[in-house]
Amino acid sequence: MTFAIDFLQVLILVGTAPLLRGLVGRIKARIQNRRGASVWRPYADLRKLFSKEDLISATASPLFRLSPMILFAATVAAAAFVPTLHGFALLGTAGDFIVLVYLLALARFFLILGAMDGGSSFGGMGASREALVSTLAEAPLLLALVAVSIVAHSTSVAGIVRWSSGQPFFHLSPVHALAFVAFTLVAIAETGRVPIDNPITHLELTMIHEAMVLEYSGPSLALIEWANAIKLNLMLSLLVAVFMPWGIAPATSLHGLAIALAAYALKMVLLAVLLAVLESSVAKLRMYLVPDFLGVACALSILAVVFTALKR
Amino acid sequence: MIEILFKLVLSVLLVLPVAVFAVRGKKARLLPALLLFGALVAGALAAILSLGQGGHVRLDLSSLTPLSFVLGIDRLSAYFLLLICLAGAPVALFSAGYVERHYSGRRRDWLWALLPLFLLSMIVVATAATAFAFLFGWELMTLFSAGLILIDGDGGQRRQNIFTYLLMMHAGAAAVAASFFVFLPHSANLDFASMRAASPVLSASARNAIFLLAFLGFGTKAGIVPLHLWLPKAHPIAPSPVSALMSGVMLKTAIYGFVRLVFDLMGGGPSWWGYLVLAAGAVSGVLGVLYAIAEHDLKRLLAYHSVENIGIIYLGLGASMIFTAHHALPWAAVALMGALLHSLNHALFKSLLFLGAGAIADATHTVDIEELGGLFNRMRVTGSVFLVACCSIVGLPLFNGFVSEWLTFRSFVAGATLASLSPAIVLPLMAGVLALIGGLAAACFAKVYGVAFLGRPRSREAEDAREVSRSMQAGMVMLAAACIIIGIAPGIVLWPLSGVVQQLLPGATLPASAMSITRVIPWLAVVVVGVVFATMLVRRVSRTTPTWACGLPGLDSRMQYTSTSFSKPLRQVFSQAYKPDRTVEILPVDQPCFPASISYSSVRTTSFERSLYRPALDGIVAAANRLRRLQTGNIQVYLLYMFLALVALLVFMRFA
Repeated sequence: MTFAIDFLQVLILVGTAPLLRGLVGRIKARIQNRRGASVWRPYADLRKLFSKEDLISATASPLFRLSPMILFAATVAAAAFVPTLHGFALLGTAGDFIVLVYLLALARFFLILGAMDGGSSFGGMGASREALVSTLAEAPLLLALVAVSIVAHSTSVAGIVRWSSGQPFFHLSPVHALAFVAFTLVAIAETGRVPIDNPITHLELTMIHEAMVLEYSGPSLALIEWANAIKLNLMLSLLVAVFMPWGIAPATSLHGLAIALAAYALKMVLLAVLLAVLESSVAKLRMYLVPDFLGVACALSILAVVFTALKR
Repeated sequence: MIEILFKLVLSVLLVLPVAVFAVRGKKARLLPALLLFGALVAGALAAILSLGQGGHVRLDLSSLTPLSFVLGIDRLSAYFLLLICLAGAPVALFSAGYVERHYSGRRRDWLWALLPLFLLSMIVVATAATAFAFLFGWELMTLFSAGLILIDGDGGQRRQNIFTYLLMMHAGAAAVAASFFVFLPHSANLDFASMRAASPVLSASARNAIFLLAFLGFGTKAGIVPLHLWLPKAHPIAPSPVSALMSGVMLKTAIYGFVRLVFDLMGGGPSWWGYLVLAAGAVSGVLGVLYAIAEHDLKRLLAYHSVENIGIIYLGLGASMIFTAHHALPWAAVALMGALLHSLNHALFKSLLFLGAGAIADATHTVDIEELGGLFNRMRVTGSVFLVACCSIVGLPLFNGFVSEWLTFRSFVAGATLASLSPAIVLPLMAGVLALIGGLAAACFAKVYGVAFLGRPRSREAEDAREVSRSMQAGMVMLAAACIIIGIAPGIVLWPLSGVVQQLLPGATLPASAMSITRVIPWLAVVVVGVVFATMLVRRVSRTTPTWACGLPGLDSRMQYTSTSFSKPLRQVFSQAYKPDRTVEILPVDQPCFPASISYSSVRTTSFERSLYRPALDGIVAAANRLRRLQTGNIQVYLLYMFLALVALLVFMRFA
């Protein structure tokens, strides 16, 4: 039973990822006074891409086709560490948040390599910028998780979630507040949302992710886009799981699981609305302001770690 | 059994150089490589056996030498013997092909003569049981490696680089020797057993002096910032297999010496020792990788990455020392395990990277990555193993670098459990430093691999590159296999390593949660590989098309992002670390808007060279100039010196 729920969690993270994307897009459209596409549109896009042919650049190496697969596999594997319905995950052990962060790094490394394989300047441009953003994002992401794990006396994501869900509702510590803000900033940068990167842009001067995948088409592009959606879903779910896990099923019962699923869905929708509002109300930052943005996240996460020691 | 194997290894390595000069001729071409390979495999076997038994082999050669010269293998020695042999054997195999293609006649003989001796000297260092044996091996290691660099000639800048190398190595060796000599009043023949017994009775200041001298001496060899100056000068100019041994293996003898002295002989010290080591590790790690990002000469880039990885190892050592000082032995053991495992991992993937650089040089005659590109399509095997090495050094999961970095991370997070405030703040923050190093390394190796192996070739040579010879491939594939095996099944190294760590930290029991990584990683591998295979099942029709060029014709290789342009954003963000000297000359001067020629040059001398080494050198030269006045060249003055010395001696003898 437990195993089935663990497996279900991964399926939810992977399966609902396009839906979350569609939802954010739809809400953004509404805010901009447009009707917008259906929330199921990303699924249709994926189906379309999977049935198209793969265009491979004449100069590309086998890595060009392999990269999206590794990217997708590593992202799915990372999703197996995140608990959403109950306090356990499919894969998980002491210290696994480090594995989680580095799995995302593995995915990104191959995405960057794939981008550089096309041999055009766009791929390199996107790769170089992605390298900048991810390099600066890695330390605050890890430090924010370190701070939370110290407070929770557990180094596994599932353990942290179990600890947080046992805390009273309004029990906010400065550590959690700081780590929460730092994590949110990093999540925005890591998933390539405004104000770091604009997922709907096609302007060479500003794009990061879109420049990297410019050369991809067909099933390869589908895998990349899906992995990217999973990453967004994963980061938001991690945010929900670590900082606001209330409603998560304390024991394995159908009743508890139903509540947990409803609570999770509600929280994700709420985050999607917030994300859409944020993306509609701020402009994209200049490339060289990105380090400042992540510098704030870094400072906050350092403070969070310092506070864990002072709080004892 | 172990003893016979060990003696066999020593004698083969000793006889081989003589044999190379004695047996010359076409028949004996592959013989030295095979003998060397066999000897190193035997050495690895001996090391594995003694890791299992913890057996104490002792080889007393004092009768042959003026001072006490004993070799012995305990668990720590066995581990580093394993490291030397495991990285050395594939390098020997690679050399079989490489040397034949690039060297002939006397230079080839010298290479085959010095290579075993260099390995032998490192084995002597790792198995020495007396200070004399250690220093003997230590000095020879420097000299043989310098000799190997000299095989490629000593013209121009090379001579100066070799000189810097020798000078700094000897200064370091002097500090190491001095740190041993502090033991002298309590340990007459300076064998390690008596030094270990003597260390508790030493005064606190003597212990501090030993630690500081060892920190400087071993730090010079290991290449911690700011003592790293020789490293990016000496490593790139050696023949590639030698670079692999120098970067992959020789630096680890410094780690071995430091661990032997500080952990084994001294049994740890006050916590400020740990903080010093930790700070050195953090600075070396961050600056090493930042300097590496700015490089486009592949071998120099790799040399700077050695500085970075030594930094990561020092981070683990420092954390372990802090835990020891606070009596948290279980976590001290985890941190030490991280450091020692990273030493082995670095030996494997850094040797592989340097061999890969050698293969690239073999195929394209350059190691400047700005001239490369598209090599993966032309060199499948080299491209694949180089990718494995890149993933390993970056510390990505399923590759070996991740396991050791994970252990170090884990111990940093556990620092929060310490009772006192400062380590509880500092150690968890170091996790952030390690993450930053990891992120920068990922950017750097994405650049290296992306620019050198992917995209379009940027020069004729890169376009005509062909795969290297079989023996070179075999050497690299062995190293890559080792990286993947340790990455997926880390238990095979972690269990023997826990024995080593328990020898160094008696009474340390490993926390159960620290070994959990050995259970998760295989499952992770199953998931990742499974999903990759699942995505392969997707039905695909593919078609080859030209790269999208915005609908315009004429996309060429010059339009790709280069190494320099790739790293520009990062260099801009971390510009404080670089500060290049830039000069722009526009001619004619009076008409800047209508220039006839513009020349631009940018030289990056590290700020250490400018603000630390330059003043020190100037000071020494100035002092030497002062002292020159003593040497007048006038014979009467010298007679006066002798007379004065005689009088001074007589006076001294009268009153002493």
